[in-house]
Amino acid sequence: MDLHLTERHRAFRDELRGWLGANLERPWREVLRDPAATEDGLITARRAWQRKLHGAGYLGMDWPAEWGGRGGGAVEQSILDAELLEADAPPILNTLGINLLGPALIHHGSEEQRRRFIPPMLAADEIWCQGFSEPGAGSDLASLKTSAVLDGDDFVLNGQKVWTTFGPWADWIFVLARTDPKDRYGGISFILCKLDTPGVTVRPLRQITGESEFGEVFFEDARVPRANLVGGIGEGWRIAMTVLAYERGAISLGQAVQYGRDLGRLAAACREIGREDAATREKLARLVVENEVMRANGIRTLANLADGKAPGPEASIEKIFWSEFDQRFRETALDLLGPGGQLVRTSPEARVDCDWARQFLWSRAETIFSGSSEVQRNIIAKRVLRLPQDPR
Amino acid sequence: MRFALSEDQALLRDSTRAFCERELPLERTRVVMEHAREGYEPGPWRQLAEMGYLGLPLPASAGGQGLGAIELAVVCEELGRVCAPGPYLDAVLAASLLAVAGREALAAEVAAGRRLVVLARHDSPWGGVPAAPVRLAGGRVRGTKYFVPFAAAADALLVTTPAGVALVEAPFATTPLETIDLAQRFGAVTLDHAAALVGPPDLLEDVDRLAAVGAAATLLGVMTRSLELTLDYVRTRHAFNRPIGAFQALQHRMADMLLRTESTRSAVYRAAWCRDAGAPETVLACAAAKAYAGDAARMVCGSAIQLHGGIGFTWELDLHVFFKRAKTLEQHYGATETQLARALAAAGY
Repeated sequence: MDLHLTERHRAFRDELRGWLGANLERPWREVLRDPAATEDGLITARRAWQRKLHGAGYLGMDWPAEWGGRGGGAVEQSILDAELLEADAPPILNTLGINLLGPALIHHGSEEQRRRFIPPMLAADEIWCQGFSEPGAGSDLASLKTSAVLDGDDFVLNGQKVWTTFGPWADWIFVLARTDPKDRYGGISFILCKLDTPGVTVRPLRQITGESEFGEVFFEDARVPRANLVGGIGEGWRIAMTVLAYERGAISLGQAVQYGRDLGRLAAACREIGREDAATREKLARLVVENEVMRANGIRTLANLADGKAPGPEASIEKIFWSEFDQRFRETALDLLGPGGQLVRTSPEARVDCDWARQFLWSRAETIFSGSSEVQRNIIAKRVLRLPQDPR
Repeated sequence: MRFALSEDQALLRDSTRAFCERELPLERTRVVMEHAREGYEPGPWRQLAEMGYLGLPLPASAGGQGLGAIELAVVCEELGRVCAPGPYLDAVLAASLLAVAGREALAAEVAAGRRLVVLARHDSPWGGVPAAPVRLAGGRVRGTKYFVPFAAAADALLVTTPAGVALVEAPFATTPLETIDLAQRFGAVTLDHAAALVGPPDLLEDVDRLAAVGAAATLLGVMTRSLELTLDYVRTRHAFNRPIGAFQALQHRMADMLLRTESTRSAVYRAAWCRDAGAPETVLACAAAKAYAGDAARMVCGSAIQLHGGIGFTWELDLHVFFKRAKTLEQHYGATETQLARALAAAGY
């Protein structure tokens, strides 16, 4: 066992910290509280920040060097994620492009596709959204019905995608579409579609936070060039599954940094409002303990990655842990803060340390997206515990 | 970076597991529960001493192996898998304390298994603030210590008092305290004995960390084995024409059991590594590991009983041995409330 960062990784972290100190103008929470910050304004700020990060070579770090990678690996990526959260930097705007489509193109795309799509993706010139879920296909994603029918050199797309994160601001969407209605898994293809294509309509959906970070996308006889197919016809499911494995990397470490910082703020707030009784202290202590255990899970994953072990289905354990912990944390925060914890961030009375109300609401999304807690438990039962499967 | 055990550590794990299967199988624990008054059998105990296990984290100058908390965790995890009876962790902690206090000769005696010394820490059998803590004054220790592990077999006690830790030699007047865990014998010891001050109260700092890691690692073994037994059972037990392990309600509970077990593993070994590396987050990591492990083991061992149904509630099946050991370890070696307070203080809140 050795949980020290290697010399090389420590050097990388120190260099990154120096760069963040010199380049991050103000913490993201301050930007969010700016009364002048509209949703569009925040997108602009995030676009600018992503360009800066890209310019410094911090995006797509574990990709091959010709696509902006720095020969780093999953360890550098995890360090970057954690340090960005520690510094309270703006969230990277094109996360879906970089985290999901990027690896899909690198592993399954053609050379022309990589050349065409990766540079503007990294530079935030083209923002991507993900067209996987449908009104009738959520956890049971393979039951998706959006169809792609080959007609000459084009696919003709019909159907509807939903919960499309960044849909309202995106330029492009990567779509899982059905090219064979009879083949459940082998009848799905991975297709790239420009959102201003005739026949494509994007409608924002208002979330329980009041924001419209996601939307729905309608396809009515939308024609997409065949050249926008990633991999072969019918390879979409396999590509999507390998790509989703990337989405569930070693993120506990970054979450522990983020929640740990908010926990410190909660403890300070409790002192400030005169809440220092034994019951409060026990609640805080339990959160501290769970956050430390989550950090230990993250350190373990990081060390395994550094040791050359690929992340396996155990990633489901981390996903359940951090998302369900965050819900308990945010609920406890509101309990301890009292009704003032429900004030929206633009209220002059709201606390400036953290947007407690928004985080309380947002935490409900975390146990649903990227594979719900229930799907994760199914994965653990099947692939880790190898329990007998019920005929479905 | 590497989370996996080193070659030597993996070898220690394998040889300890083989030893436990041969000399300390759960059937022997059952025999000890029903018959052995001392709470353990001298044979395997002597062998543990001969293999150097009692002095694992002690420096060579105190007759130890010069290893650390990681190796202690490896051994404790294996002992937890079989709910081994006996004062293993107690002897290691006492020897460590003696070594830290500069009493190498006595530490070496303990490490060699020639003398049994244990810590006596509880001033009341109950939670809350004790009415009359045991005191050291005028070279004598007076008062009663409760839940002294394996008190009847101890040759000497390390007694905690407000003035520091005092060494008291047998014989003692001991009243057995029979608890739900019959393989962990405790006694109440009434003291009016000449005592030597071993060191100030802060001498316990490192012992507290080792205690947290050792107990949490034992809990890890306890819950790992409970989960394994449960997974075996749900594959073979049939209801409604299928193995009950195929039912999603049960699968999700077992997924949670695995989540708690593996998260405990992360926390235990990270804490052990922190302690050995002298990392600044050691106190927090150790407290978090023990607090979490106590809750997790209760959940996992309780779920094991639940998933077995009626047979799980029988004396015949072994599950209650794990369930009881889990509760005992949760409330000793720094109970959860103690660890929570430590964690909060260490986090700076």
